[in-house]
Amino acid sequence: MNAPEPNFHGIALRTGELARIVRVNEEIKAIVATAFRINLMALNAIFLAKRAGNAALGFGVLSNELRRFAQDLTRHMASLREMTSGSVGSVTGVVQQQRIARILAEALKLSGEGVPGAREARRRGAARLAEQQSRLRGLDLRLRAAVEETQQLVELGGVLARSAKIEAAYGGGFSAALMQVSTDFAEVIAQIKRSLEVLGKERLVKD
Amino acid sequence: MKQAHCIYQDEEHRWLAIARDATKPGYIIDTNEYVVVHGDEALLCDPGGIEIFPAVFSALSAECDPTRLAGIFASHQDPDIISSLALWLEFKPDLKCYTSWLWQSFLPHFGGHDSTFVPIPDQGTTIRLDGLELQAIPAHYLHSSGNFHLYDPKAKILFSGDVGAALLPADNNDLYVQDFSRHIRHAEGFHKRWMGSDRAKRDWCERVSRLEIDMLVPQHGAIYQGADVQRFINWFAALEVGVLRS
Ligand SMILES: [Fe+2]
Ligand SMILES: [Fe+2]
Repeated sequence: MNAPEPNFHGIALRTGELARIVRVNEEIKAIVATAFRINLMALNAIFLAKRAGNAALGFGVLSNELRRFAQDLTRHMASLREMTSGSVGSVTGVVQQQRIARILAEALKLSGEGVPGAREARRRGAARLAEQQSRLRGLDLRLRAAVEETQQLVELGGVLARSAKIEAAYGGGFSAALMQVSTDFAEVIAQIKRSLEVLGKERLVKD
Repeated sequence: MKQAHCIYQDEEHRWLAIARDATKPGYIIDTNEYVVVHGDEALLCDPGGIEIFPAVFSALSAECDPTRLAGIFASHQDPDIISSLALWLEFKPDLKCYTSWLWQSFLPHFGGHDSTFVPIPDQGTTIRLDGLELQAIPAHYLHSSGNFHLYDPKAKILFSGDVGAALLPADNNDLYVQDFSRHIRHAEGFHKRWMGSDRAKRDWCERVSRLEIDMLVPQHGAIYQGADVQRFINWFAALEVGVLRS
């Protein structure tokens, strides 16, 4: 009889894992690009509000807030990105370890029952895999927490965009232009919200 | 499936040849792996590629306790030589890998860490295996720029890596060279194309001619024994190497 194969269930990493991280990274890149756009839009809005003068004082204050929001968002995304780039290393480690474990299991199976050192080698491999796996799980938890925090920030952005719309109505002769700007804000923030929802659903490790 | 053949035995001192594998996929070059066993320790010469690890491991385990493996000798850095390193280390993490200093920082791409590698200086070194002294003989530029062969003065066996290699037809599974002149035809193209330096080749021929060799065991093809050893050295000395097309 052949020696039993080590049990690698519960370790759900497959070849798709790196592809998943790439997707997460792409989503983050998209949000970073959008945050940059908000930054520019906010700058524009600040100038527009200055031109409108007294008629758009409230709008000017909000534009400044939106600009600060865009900067906060960029910072959040930078730390998210750092997390995912770290996870590429961890996932690669797990994938490699799994490949090694699979080939070694095949070798031990071919060698039949009772090869000296087989049990120790299996135990060592399983322990290493479990350790890498738990590191990845920790990373996943941190990533999810960070996404949630960013979602809260974006909620605030949404409130700012809505307030900007209301302020735009009091913009006198600039009202139409200010309305256009605040509508653009709202759209971009909605887009970021959608991206964050996608991100929130991604998991680096399947349970 | 690969099998280990004992090609030398003197009490506790053995050489195993894990010779050609008729069942491996055709797109992978066929290789021979050799195990020197002495007392309680074993040294694996050119353990081969990652794809053939299961076959090599099980062939080795059938003839010798794999936990006795103390080291790996890598004649050079090629993937068919040493890409299985991570797997051997997975089985036995404290294995030492003897290889040219030139490859010390390249081989970790296949596996291992700082303490895994024992760099061999250009002039060669002595490798001790439970009291047995083996010699790493310089064979630079044949074909790799940092290249060693392994000589066992007691068994009078020279492991010659890619030198002496023959790419034999699939139906030829002889362990030993049967008819030198017919065999060498399968070695000619390989040596002309892979061996890059005529000067290095002449140096090597001179160096190994001074050794007492009963068997010259290459990493590909059949084993040269007896008079075929000197026949091979003479043939190689006269061969024009480093040519793109003959
Ligand atoms: Fe080679
Ligand atoms: Fe080779």
